[in-house]
Amino acid sequence: MSESGDHVTTRATEQPAPADETSAEAVETHPPHSPVTPIFRVRDLNVFYADFHAVKDVNLIIAENEITALIGPSGCGKSTVLRCFNRMNDLIDIARVVGDVRYHGTDLYAEDVDPVEVRRRIGMVFQKPNPFPKSIYDNVAFGPKISGFKGNLDELVESSLTKAALFDEVKDKLGDSAYALSGGQQQRLCIARAIATSPDVLLMDEPCSALDPIATMRIEELMQNLKQDYTILIVTHNMQQAARVSDKTAFFNVEVDEGGQRTGHLVEFDETGKIFTNPAQPATEDYITGRFG
Amino acid sequence: MVLEHPQDETRHHFTEILHEIQHGLVRMGSLVEENVLRAGSAMVEGRIGLVEMVRNADEPINEMYARLERQTFETLARQQPVAGDLRFLVATTRILYELERSGDLAVNCVKVLDRLHGLPEHPELNATLRQLVAATVKVFRMGIDAIADMTDDAGVVIEQADDEVDDLVSEYYTTIAQVSGDIGLDAGIGLSRIGRFLERIADHAVNIGENVQYIVTAEFPGDTHAALTDED
Repeated sequence: MSESGDHVTTRATEQPAPADETSAEAVETHPPHSPVTPIFRVRDLNVFYADFHAVKDVNLIIAENEITALIGPSGCGKSTVLRCFNRMNDLIDIARVVGDVRYHGTDLYAEDVDPVEVRRRIGMVFQKPNPFPKSIYDNVAFGPKISGFKGNLDELVESSLTKAALFDEVKDKLGDSAYALSGGQQQRLCIARAIATSPDVLLMDEPCSALDPIATMRIEELMQNLKQDYTILIVTHNMQQAARVSDKTAFFNVEVDEGGQRTGHLVEFDETGKIFTNPAQPATEDYITGRFG
Repeated sequence: MVLEHPQDETRHHFTEILHEIQHGLVRMGSLVEENVLRAGSAMVEGRIGLVEMVRNADEPINEMYARLERQTFETLARQQPVAGDLRFLVATTRILYELERSGDLAVNCVKVLDRLHGLPEHPELNATLRQLVAATVKVFRMGIDAIADMTDDAGVVIEQADDEVDDLVSEYYTTIAQVSGDIGLDAGIGLSRIGRFLERIADHAVNIGENVQYIVTAEFPGDTHAALTDED
């Protein structure tokens, strides 16, 4: 992985060749009328689990400092696609990722790219809050410590917890076990932990599905503040949540072939306002209006 | 509800959107008010040069209408509003209509002026028209203030204030009838229409007040839906 300085250069010189443009798929991969700085560029992404073709031909451009929601029915491949953005699929032996995933113009799957470094820059928050069985402080300090952080750890812990809108609630009990926190607080702690390693992307896989409505609203509000500093991709079953929090929405659907194999694909990707008021594809409208899925 | 939220509320971002829409309504209303005043000057002071300005000034009002309607529509779709938030957004779509129509009526006034190549010079008519314009603008401004302040009795209060406009319109019609021999039928009809347009602008302000009252109290004044008492 090249350093951020190189990214700027890479990005500036990375002009899409005309051939690339004409080879664009039938699916519109870049919402019209939105001048954005792409942070990810996904081209012809296919994911297989052994012989199972999980996701087919995904083309996407993800904008920097925006919240992009991936929605769709179960089995549509949205979580699989999310995990491609920080190579989490590497951890599944039978998973095979084919296609091009570029992060600031750099091929994330190139041989010389260190997946650990990828995951430091592209953090992840999971469905169930999963703090380490350690103190609140150590949960946040752990990542920076093992990656050789040399600065003031106390300050880093405080600023990470502050960004995650948790500091005020825990500042007097940083030594307490993370398990003593409520579910919503644990999830914000996990966000603080992800932030502590200075990523520029946060991937969130159903981050609120284990939380009550108020805790959910707090996380959503937090996301609105975080997007000033981070690019956020969120997978959610809750399409109202996608409607509330995201700038862009990608709708995935699943198709079943003659052999009964279910493969996910991207149906529509556009401004969230457009998707929820006037989607271009009938399948999107059927899904968001609750007519199927 | 739009104006009253605790400082540490959870949905700060959503509240900001609601405030933005509320401010948009006030701004749009102010533009309409300004244009009614401009149309009034054109008529009362015989400033034909303002006619084109009044027409042109309606364009940004229509653009704001479209933009605010879209924003309201999108907010309804995306934020799942309930209770006071829902009433505010639904009433906003109605208030937008009232504002937009009022803007059109200001343009209608100067269209008459344009067609007649200026209003007939008649001191008594002119004095009544001047009073009518002033009363209409006063009532309309009350409608805009109600949106800004979210007053719980706006419908009742503005309806009462509108009585003055109605009285002046009657007086204006009587005067037109009295002098119709001097000014001719064509001018008489034109002036009557202007009276009607101004009266309607004030009626729209009453509807705005009723909608504001509905947002705040969940009930229309006298429990009557604004649209049921409307006539156009």
